[in-house]
Amino acid sequence: MNFKEIMNIISVIAIPFVIFSFLFYGFFKKVKVYESFVEGAKEGFNVAVRIIPYLVAMLVAIGIFRASGAMDVFVAILSPITNLIGFPAEALPMALMRPLSGSGSLGIMTEIMKTHGPDSFLGLLVSTMYGSTETTFYVLAVYFGSVNIRKTRHAVPAGVISDITGLLAGFFICKLVFG
Amino acid sequence: MNYIWLALIAIGILTAIGTDIYEISTNKYKNGVEFQAFVEIEDDFKFGTQLRGNIIASGDYFKEFYSLKNFKVDSVKNEITLNVNQDGKGVLIVKIGETTPEFWKLMAKGKGVNTDKLIANVFNLEKLGDGKYKVTLVFEKISFVKMKQILNAIIEYSDIAVKIAIGLIGVMALWLGIMKIGESAGLINLLARLVKPLTKRLFPDIPPEHPAIGAIIMNISANMLGLGNAATPLGLKAMEELQKLNPKKDTASDSMITFLVINTSGMTLIPATAIAVRAALGSGDPAAIISTTIVGGFAATIAGITSAKILQRLKIFRKELEEKENQKEVQG
Repeated sequence: MNFKEIMNIISVIAIPFVIFSFLFYGFFKKVKVYESFVEGAKEGFNVAVRIIPYLVAMLVAIGIFRASGAMDVFVAILSPITNLIGFPAEALPMALMRPLSGSGSLGIMTEIMKTHGPDSFLGLLVSTMYGSTETTFYVLAVYFGSVNIRKTRHAVPAGVISDITGLLAGFFICKLVFG
Repeated sequence: MNYIWLALIAIGILTAIGTDIYEISTNKYKNGVEFQAFVEIEDDFKFGTQLRGNIIASGDYFKEFYSLKNFKVDSVKNEITLNVNQDGKGVLIVKIGETTPEFWKLMAKGKGVNTDKLIANVFNLEKLGDGKYKVTLVFEKISFVKMKQILNAIIEYSDIAVKIAIGLIGVMALWLGIMKIGESAGLINLLARLVKPLTKRLFPDIPPEHPAIGAIIMNISANMLGLGNAATPLGLKAMEELQKLNPKKDTASDSMITFLVINTSGMTLIPATAIAVRAALGSGDPAAIISTTIVGGFAATIAGITSAKILQRLKIFRKELEEKENQKEVQG
């Protein structure tokens, strides 16, 4: 059994296991489990509704950016710089899209793997990049939105630094392992 | 956030305007220029009725007509309907399908409405042989393609935003319910106590046994295991707890940002989505990227936490927190 199989099994049983253990631990501690559950769950609707304005603001801005084709302009500007470290220009849209849009970067990743093959260096690189970082701006909008926080202080710079590091580290390790 | 938001929108709209003006000045879509092609009619030819058939043009002609750079198709053939009067004038409608040349697809998409067809005015129809005709036509005017796409994107994405939020209600309710049981039973506190040595360094301003720590740990674990569905509700629960400790309710606290950076850096042990896409595209070893992804995500997390810790000390980012204290002094 290799690492992947073990992890797959864990990810399948994790949620049922957590629910089971919470319920029985609660029951064991004489918590009124059903009442407690309903009490907590009724907040679900409010949280979801609270994030709507933040999500609309963020996604519409990202939508405008994507539809305008500004990405191509950025790729053209940045590719001479990234060429210096040998970063393939084909993977640059992926690097730029990843922090902005989950569906957008998924589309780019799929497209690149379709044209170059999933086991080519580019294919391995973009799939590593996809897994190495999250959709920073979406996460920021949802998480801060859920508690009505509007002043985000250093969250964006720190998030972007982490994204750049993740993407670069992904590139170098791919070069080392697959290159 | 203000600047980033403004920049995304401003860059988007300015780029779109620039592209549109450029396309108008070079007449990219050849508005008003006569296009010549052959038409094969399947039905019996009759003036003034809707006829089904195909439009045919040579690849070289198509390439030159639209000044395309990469166009490797030998001949363009596409389904149409044709309706002409006795004088040879009429309407030709190109149906956009899977085999339609990309450029026509782009033109149809650029219309904004009725994107499944391209309408052209026929100026001349010349019979060549059995069911074969030579046509001269001008396609409908296409302009401001990018602006129309932006308009569509605005409407589409506001819709997506609401759908995402609504889609969260169910799992959100489930996990908030489960977490409530854990809280009442003291399980969350127990969890927080277990990871105390780590969390008291990462989140020095959260009391070590606060429920926020429990929720944070569960969120990070769910992320590591690639359980996106559970991770978001647990993360939002953690934010709610962190907000209780936050003295200034509209401003992010240091702990919130540290927590969010850990979240956005996406440290995961199983990049489930990427593996699934690789497998679907016929990769010989879909899981080959696990190790590289872990390294990438780990580097992102370390860099994120470090930069959050350094940035939180900078004056520009302290300012917003201290504004509150000044106000207090004024009030006092």
